[in-house]
Amino acid sequence: MDLLTLFVAAILVNNFVLYYFLGICPFLGVSKKIDAAFSMGMAVTFVMTLTAVASWMINHWILIPFGLDYLQIVSFILVIASLVQLVEMFIRKMSPPLYQALGIYLPLITTNCAIMGLALLAALKNYDFIKTVVFGVGSGLGFTLAIVLMSGIREQLDLADVPEPLKGAGIALIVAGIMALAFSGFSGMIK
Amino acid sequence: MNLSARMIVVLTAVGLISGSFLSVVGLLTKERIAMNQQLEIQNAISEVLPSTKTSHKVFEDESLTIYESRDENDNPVGFAVYASGTGFQDIITLMYGIDPSFSKIKALTILEQKETPGLGAKITDKTSFLRYWEGRNCEQPLSLRKPAVESPGNLAPSEVNAITGATISSEKVLDIVNLSLERLKEIKQKGQLSSEEKNAT
Amino acid sequence: MPPKKSIGAEYLKGLWNENPVFRQLLGMCPTLAVTNAVINGIAMGLATAFVLILSSLVVSSIKKLIPSQVRIATYIVIIASFVTIADRFLAAFFPPISKALGPYVPLIVVNCIILGRQEAFSSRNSIGRSLIDALGMSTGFILALLLLSSIRELLGSGSFLGHQLLGSWFKPWTIMILPAGAFITLGVLLGIALLIESKTKARSV
Repeated sequence: MDLLTLFVAAILVNNFVLYYFLGICPFLGVSKKIDAAFSMGMAVTFVMTLTAVASWMINHWILIPFGLDYLQIVSFILVIASLVQLVEMFIRKMSPPLYQALGIYLPLITTNCAIMGLALLAALKNYDFIKTVVFGVGSGLGFTLAIVLMSGIREQLDLADVPEPLKGAGIALIVAGIMALAFSGFSGMIK
Repeated sequence: MNLSARMIVVLTAVGLISGSFLSVVGLLTKERIAMNQQLEIQNAISEVLPSTKTSHKVFEDESLTIYESRDENDNPVGFAVYASGTGFQDIITLMYGIDPSFSKIKALTILEQKETPGLGAKITDKTSFLRYWEGRNCEQPLSLRKPAVESPGNLAPSEVNAITGATISSEKVLDIVNLSLERLKEIKQKGQLSSEEKNAT
Repeated sequence: MPPKKSIGAEYLKGLWNENPVFRQLLGMCPTLAVTNAVINGIAMGLATAFVLILSSLVVSSIKKLIPSQVRIATYIVIIASFVTIADRFLAAFFPPISKALGPYVPLIVVNCIILGRQEAFSSRNSIGRSLIDALGMSTGFILALLLLSSIRELLGSGSFLGHQLLGSWFKPWTIMILPAGAFITLGVLLGIALLIESKTKARSV
């Protein structure tokens, strides 16, 4: 599988939210306004790319050579948690405007299963370094695409007459289902 | 004890306890997990080459693994080829058996797939899709017959039936097999099939 | 602080009033991802219950030793350790289930239900109460998975636990097994849960 295929597949065919069901919490929580959704998506893409690099290094330079694969889950989650902290401190120092835009979303990212999912899936699929990075960027952009589309629909949905019990998460999930159906039309397009 | 010292002590203690605990769990389960994986491969080999008694790996790279198989009298039965590639939705992993002279596919089995249930997932159907692969002539690349025909006798020697409504999944399986066949012949020509080593499993 | 609940109420709250999936919208990822077949739903529910119950026991028994600045890090290490045990156990003794669940077993570590219960309950309640709370939440989570996976398997493949229930007259609704079916079924179930809740509230007023 070449890199372009992998990249496009990660965005459209095997979309993190709509195919792997990862990152549902922010997908439902931060998808009420397009601006916020876009910032969240960018923050996730950024951290995902870093996680892809860091988890690959941990896995291939420490865990596999020393036969410590049973520490994979513990080390991945610790790496992600500290990475998010570092990124937050770094951005706050270096670029206050960027911090204003992404800052509040960063702490939420630690418990975003999309990040952990990326590290685990890349390890499971045995990707080499370059593929892992491409997979990370593609998955992040796929997440951004899904959450931005969702927020666009939800802004319109505010004006619609939704049955009382379905308001909020119920209708959001049903909309996500219809989006998943639409995205399944991309299956098979990768040659 | 001041706070930061206590923080460090607690974190170190928790880390050490969980680390040592997990290494015990890791050691206890390691062998069994490795055995499960080996068993899965062995079962697949005996499925595609039923008279297999012993088998051993003769080639391995990122996308292809080849096992040579021998029967109880140590005569070569053929090769079992383990290959994977992209399907309609996600990776398809399959294994097929081929005779020693690379002329006939003996049988095909799908090990992993996430195709559409009820459509593409029919590639795992042993009574229809997979049955038409048995004994196909693979000296040339195989081709797909669509619409599908009823009996294997109506197929040309190197044709296999497509699944109605799931042409792409059928094509993807065909592509994986054809690509691996091509590579198999290349590898053989380069003399990289090290069949003289007999580290039987 | 609200008055202490009876043991029974402490357990029962996880089933409905504070059901992790239907009322708190926690743990949505595994709920959607593994419920295409009942057996996967049950395995996921049990694995999550194992991690939740043992983490709650450990956290509530060492809560006084942990400085509050590092509590989240400590909880994460404890949770991750139990998740690893569950993952290795499944891979060693139930390889087909482990394969079907794939990365979703390790992902229990970021299931918000587990960290949420440690932070909201086990870190400030006795061992006994934390155990009851964890048992209740686990039961609620398993029931939610069971409900969703039963609907999806029955309509999507016409079977239950792999046994064909509906005859050949039934044309399976393939969409129920696909991701889209997961989203839509859960959305409708959430709506029904809210409807029942508002009906019972209206009656009690």
